[in-house]
Amino acid sequence: MHLTKEEERIYDGEFGWANQTCMRILVRLGELFGAAKLIPISSAHVSGVSYKTLGDAPSDFLETLASSGTKTKVKTTLNPQSFDASYLRKKLPHELFEKQSNVMKYFQKMGFEPSLTCTPYYLERPKKNSHLAWAESSAVVYANSIEEAWTNREGGPSALAAAVIGKTPNYGIHQIENRQPSAVVKLEKPLLKDLEFGALGILLGKILGEQIPAIRGLGNASADDLKQLGAALASSGMVNMLCFKPVKSDVAEKITVEAKDIKRTIETLTTAQIAKPDLVFLGCPHCSLNELRQIASLIGNRKVRNGMEFWVCTSCYVKNKAKKYVEKIENCGGHVLTDTCAVVTWTDKLGIKSVMTNSAKTAHYAPTLNKVETVFASSVDCLNTALQ
Amino acid sequence: MQPIILQGRKIVEGYCKAEALVSTKPISFLGGVDPADGKIIDSNHDLFGLCSKDKVLCFPHGHGSTVGSYVLYSLSRKGLAPKAIVNQTADPVVVVGAIIANIPMIDRIDIELIKTGDLLEVDAEKGLVRILARRGS
Repeated sequence: MHLTKEEERIYDGEFGWANQTCMRILVRLGELFGAAKLIPISSAHVSGVSYKTLGDAPSDFLETLASSGTKTKVKTTLNPQSFDASYLRKKLPHELFEKQSNVMKYFQKMGFEPSLTCTPYYLERPKKNSHLAWAESSAVVYANSIEEAWTNREGGPSALAAAVIGKTPNYGIHQIENRQPSAVVKLEKPLLKDLEFGALGILLGKILGEQIPAIRGLGNASADDLKQLGAALASSGMVNMLCFKPVKSDVAEKITVEAKDIKRTIETLTTAQIAKPDLVFLGCPHCSLNELRQIASLIGNRKVRNGMEFWVCTSCYVKNKAKKYVEKIENCGGHVLTDTCAVVTWTDKLGIKSVMTNSAKTAHYAPTLNKVETVFASSVDCLNTALQ
Repeated sequence: MQPIILQGRKIVEGYCKAEALVSTKPISFLGGVDPADGKIIDSNHDLFGLCSKDKVLCFPHGHGSTVGSYVLYSLSRKGLAPKAIVNQTADPVVVVGAIIANIPMIDRIDIELIKTGDLLEVDAEKGLVRILARRGS
């Protein structure tokens, strides 16, 4: 890999251990994937923030890095943590809150923005054709496909290293030749409900591996539908982007998705038929302003059923812009939680054994990450279950 | 025995001489290894219950969450890390872990040629693994 003079000096340790370690991470990964050089990035987004998923292991590393005085070189946002500032903070053990706060302290000392969301593109849209180093697979697909920015699927540590150096190795879908679809997906019937987009994502992720699909027949899809599709796609597979533009007909693989395939996938995402789940959860990935508006408009005069939790998760940024909708959701007995979500907090410590959600990504992960039964349903059905 | 020389690729430089601990299965450091004592806690793993402290840990490749890299760092801070890592195919999780924990690492080695208990010399700078001695031979 070719390094500039300055990069070499960082690599050799002239700018201290932290910069050297981060540079070594980028160079080794670049060599591993055949990059010829490093390229500047406009922003980084770091995953691995929730103490529930991190545990104690990273604290040592983050603490050492932070105490070396190192700072991010570019705008860097953070994925959700394990708490929100009010509701879960009161309900969960204080000791866990302290451990989470320590992790945050290290990140903030290094200049990371406490955005605490998996949807950083709502805070600031990445520029078209700009290079990014984002972790959080759902945001990676969104950035590449909808915002037309360019980012590989980074891991937590590689995004962190990119943030400190301000660069990323030039490989994968930072190169135009690797951004071409190699499979065409034809939908037999247009998708109608929100959960069908998530189901399509889970189904395709398993078939495609790392292939970029061009999906035909998504003309009616909203950005929120595509967010669900992309999040699911990246959960069951390694896909980093999808295309909506027409492609040449000589693209190798053709996949037809029939209505029955979608129906079967929806069924597999429900692990148990539970009429009264402990938690109804919307907001994976974090809700957009539009999704909050839709949820608020569907509530009517109903209230959350006794003994049931109803969570709507979003970023602090979006919540602050949606005061009217937030009020409506909280007045009916629901909780609009920011900075966190059901998957990255300790649902087990809250006695939650079953979760109903409109998110295929949550339905895919929660049985293992939260040890819960899942019911996968449309947002309308989720609200009909949570409210009476 | 005559040393058997295996040529691979340097990932993280360094040198050591230690006993091999060989697995045929990928390792997920997050969830698969206890950061407190270094033991493999994945009950489906062929190294279940074992610790790679002071060993040359040989396995096909890593898998699972990228947070696994931090587990290697944490093990090394506690003196529980392997002396070196030998992989069939390096993957980002283990590579980043080895870099931040400063564990010598080589990949592109046919690990089926190495047996648990073999005395290995790892010269990561040159990408070399030498099998110096094998139990019972």
